[in-house]
This record gives sequence, structure tokens and C-alpha cells, in this order.
Amino acid sequence: MKIKDKIYNLITYIASSMGIIVLIAILLFIFNKGFNKLSLQMIFGKYWAVNYISVEPIKSGNFELTNEIDGIYSKNWGIALKDGDSKNITITFIHKDSPFNNLIVKDGSINLQKGYTIEKIDLGELSVGKIVGNNAQDVISTIDNYQTIQSVYFKSQSGGIFGGVIATFYLILISLSIVLPIGISSSIYLKEYEKNKKFKAILQYGIDTLTGIPSLVYGLVGVTVLFPITQLVNINSTSILLGGLTMSIILLPTIIKATNDALDNVPDSLRQGSLSLGATNFQTIYKVVLPCCINGILTGVLLSIGRVIGESAALIYTMGTFVNDAPKISSSGSSLAVMIYSFMVQENPNMELASAVSIIILIIVMILNVILRVFGKKFERKLV
Amino acid sequence: MKLALSVKDLNLYYGNKQALKNIEMDIYSNKVTAFIGPSGCGKSTFLRCLNRMNDLIDNCRVNGNVFLDDVNVYSGKMDVVNLRSRVGMVFQKPNPFPMSIYENVAYGPKCQGVKDKKILDKIVEESLKNAALWDDIKDRLNDDALGLSGGQQQRLCIARAIAMEPEVILMDEPTSALDPISTKKIEDLIDKLKEKYTIIIVTHSMQQAKRISDYTAFFLMGEVIEFDTTSNIFQNPKDKRTEDYITGRFG
Repeated sequence: MKIKDKIYNLITYIASSMGIIVLIAILLFIFNKGFNKLSLQMIFGKYWAVNYISVEPIKSGNFELTNEIDGIYSKNWGIALKDGDSKNITITFIHKDSPFNNLIVKDGSINLQKGYTIEKIDLGELSVGKIVGNNAQDVISTIDNYQTIQSVYFKSQSGGIFGGVIATFYLILISLSIVLPIGISSSIYLKEYEKNKKFKAILQYGIDTLTGIPSLVYGLVGVTVLFPITQLVNINSTSILLGGLTMSIILLPTIIKATNDALDNVPDSLRQGSLSLGATNFQTIYKVVLPCCINGILTGVLLSIGRVIGESAALIYTMGTFVNDAPKISSSGSSLAVMIYSFMVQENPNMELASAVSIIILIIVMILNVILRVFGKKFERKLV
Repeated sequence: MKLALSVKDLNLYYGNKQALKNIEMDIYSNKVTAFIGPSGCGKSTFLRCLNRMNDLIDNCRVNGNVFLDDVNVYSGKMDVVNLRSRVGMVFQKPNPFPMSIYENVAYGPKCQGVKDKKILDKIVEESLKNAALWDDIKDRLNDDALGLSGGQQQRLCIARAIAMEPEVILMDEPTSALDPISTKKIEDLIDKLKEKYTIIIVTHSMQQAKRISDYTAFFLMGEVIEFDTTSNIFQNPKDKRTEDYITGRFG
């Protein structure tokens, strides 16, 4: 008997610790793969590199350094280089007075930045287009022998995800600004106005069913039903607007449910108190009942933001998978979650970058959860 | 004596169940009228008929007439919003809105469209003074009303009702959730308020009815068994059932 109990207990323990184990496994995996990629430059940088060619020659000078720096330094030019991955020569440091700070390119001037890669350096005497040296050491020792550099071919840093951050932000903005008014008013209608119980039950059933539909199906609905709506404003391809519209349908049950729960929590005595003072039904709802629901609705909003950040399937159809560095509402782009998909389906799957994006998503979701907990507690305390 | 409300042949049904039977009653101005009777006898239901709060209950049906200044409350001529601003109500459990004290009192007038800050200030001050609450809270008008004690909350609810300058104030067991000291304060307040308003109070406590009311109605099973001056009801009840109830033989 005792052994049997112990076995049962053990099974319970194992089963209940499964959740934690899985979470830790996920964390270990993505941190292991992606942590090295994680940096401010990655979060705020562009995904696609841009090629530049400087058009004006620059002159060398003398830029002594006292402190140690990473890479090989040229004191005549005030620049440090090192060999990066895949045979790139990467800039690790630029002296503040260095002539490399004042490169003139075709469409204006540009500041060379740490992390950019040097493709070619044209020294005039050497024939145009020839790469100077095969590694950082070579390049530095060659250019140190010259007073003038005719032209520099360089590339901005790639692998950043800021476009995804912006796209996700737009997506949240669009979907919430559509779903909040619709969701809250439907909930008010359901709870405060509709008296026919049967009709109410049917509506409620419909809304509950929406929760169970796979988001891929919503994506299909987006491209077929909602696409003509975006065409009205002259958007003829997948776009963030279309993604936002689709997301707002996905979020509708969440917002309605959150508002319903909040309305249920408002004691009837407040409604009666307001009505007994000669307030109309409308005044009662907007001045007394809704202000009591703010916390509940905010909970719904936070849940929705989490959902938007995590959603991918419905967005692949509607927003496209193109990683867009400067997304606009009318253009296609990929949110952070879709980026993971995009990075993994290209010819050389970029596991590191995908993992780094996963870390960012995970951190945002965790922060949202913490805020939700704090809000949830406040919500309970206030109305009991 | 002037009549505040006159009820003629009022019947009320919840679905098929009749909850009030042929109620006839005249309620006099500037008097306190108390409704007593055992639980479920219909006294609260009847009170809610007087400002049509029963409209909010789904399957509730009312037949009959309640006259307020010769206008039937249940006729098409009477606007519910207007009726409720003339017949105010205080509930069993204090139910201040989760806003500041000031906002609570100013709520009714604001809903009627009063926007001038000066007028509102004056209404709030007058109402709180009349509800004997001004001295307690005059320095913290902007505090959350939910931070007040139970007795203060109930007086705030009374202040909120009188801010509307009603003719009649209905009170549904206003002291049943309060301690004896707060109850005493509310009773004193009711005594003072009857100079300006007609007060109808539902109470479980016969002592309270005896202390504060001028008229008393005894309800039983949805009927008014006896309605008379309070002294007659408690000293010479005409009906056997009234006598049984006030002497504590049942209920």
C-alpha cells in the first residue's frame, strides 16, 4: 500500500515538474544558440547590409592612441580593423579625428561605424577594384605606406532586427485600435443591453468558438475576405495593415472575454445606485460601470499584446515573410515571430539569429506576464 | 395634510407569482413612513415600485397606479429618469461609486447636465451639510469614497440622494449593515431630513420604526395588513396579525 502511494506521488511529481523542465530546456537551448548574437546593435540595426563607395579622397594624419583597443590599429589613419567571420574585415574602432569619419559617398556624407566591413580600398597607384591585402594585418600595413586613399568600398552591418521591432509595434497598434472599440462595445451590448437570453447565448457561443479556430484559418480569411478592404486604400499586396486587421479578428474573443469578466465583476448595487439618482442607462455605463472595468480591460490588452507578439501562422499569409528594414503600414514586413520563420526557411538557416530573436520575444512575454500579475492582483483587490 | 404619494390598487407579479396584492396607501409629505413585516413580505418590493426600480428586473410586471403630484408614475407621461430624480433612494448596503467623495455627490446633478463648477461646489457642500457629513470630511473631498467608514459611506449615499433635491427619499433598510453608533447618527439624520423631504423607510427593526416614524405599514404575504400612525400600530393594533407580529409572536 505504501509503495503504491509512493509511486503515485512520484508520477505526480514528475508530471507536474514537466512544465518547468520544458521551460528550462527551451531557455537553455535558445540562450545557448543565440546569446552571443544578442547586442544593442542587433536589436537596433538593419537586417540587410548596404554597400557604399566613397567618392572623395582622404588624407592621412597622426592619431596616437594611449589605451589598448581591439583589432589592429593604424595610427596614420586612426582606424582599427580585425578579421571577422567569413573572411570579412571588420572595423572595430575609429578615432574621433580620423579622416574615415568624413567619407563622402554618392548621396552625401556618411559616418563609418564600428561593425561595418571594408570590401576594398583604392589607393590610386594600385589598380581600381583590387582588394588591398587579404587580412586585417595586410590592409593596415599597406595603407600605412600611403598618404592618400582614393576611395573606400564598404558595407554597413547586417543581421539587425529593428525592422521587425517596428513591424511588431505597428501590428500591435493597428490591431488594438481596431479591436478595442469593437470588442468593448460588443461586450457592453451583450452584458448591459441585450435582454433576450437565447440570442445572447447564441452570440456568446459564437464568440467562444472563435477562440478555438486555428490561426492559420484566420490567415486564410485575411487574404480572402480582408484583402479587398485593404485594396480600398490602394494596398495591393500583403501588408502590415492586412496583418493588423487579421490580428484584430483573432483578438476579438480575448477582448470581449476580458471585458465580460470585468463587467460581471462590477456589483449591481453600483448600477442601481446610479440609476436611482436619475442617471440614464448610458450615463450609468460610461460614468460608473466602465471606469470600474479599466483594470480588467487592461488585462485583456496585455494578453492581446502577448498574442500579437507571439502570432506567426496567420501573419505569414497576410504580412508576408520579407524582412523589411523600414516597414510601413502599407508595405509588407515581418514581425519578430515571423522573422524566426524567415531566418529558418532561407537557404542557410540562421539558427543563431533565430534564437536571438526568440530570446527577445521570450523576455517581452515574461515582462508582460509580470505586469499582468501585478495588475491582476490590483484588479481583484479593488472590486471585492 | 399634503399627500406626497398615493398608491391605488397596486399588484405586482414575478412571472406568474403574485408578490404584491391590491396595495392602497397614502403617504403624507414631510413625514417618515416605515414599512415593517417579516422577510419576503414584499415591503422592499413595494418600496422599489415607488421609483420604478423594479423595471430592472426581467420578469417583473406591475399593475396599478402610483400618483406623484397627480401624475401616474406608471403612465406614459412619466419619464423614469425624471421620476428617479424626484424620488431618490438609499440602499441597504452603502454603495458609493469608486470615485472621490466630491464626485459621488456631484454625480446626480452632473448627469442632469449641471456643469458650472460653482453651482456644483455649492450643491456638494449643502448636501454634505444636510447629511451631517460635512464636518467629518470637508478637508478630504477629493479622497476616495471607498476609504470612508460604513456609516460615513451610508451618509454619503444619503447626501448623494439629497443632492438631487428629491421630493421623496426611499430608504431600504439603510442601517442594517451598520453598527449601533452609526445607526443612531442615521436615525437622527432622518429626523432632521423630514423637515424638507418625505421619507419612506423599510426596516427590520420594530424599535427603529417606533423611534423614527410617524406612520407605519405592516406587510404580510404581499398585503398591507394595517397602515396607521405609528402610535396606533404599536399601541392599539386593530388586526390580530399585527398584534402578533409586534409582540414578537412570529416573524
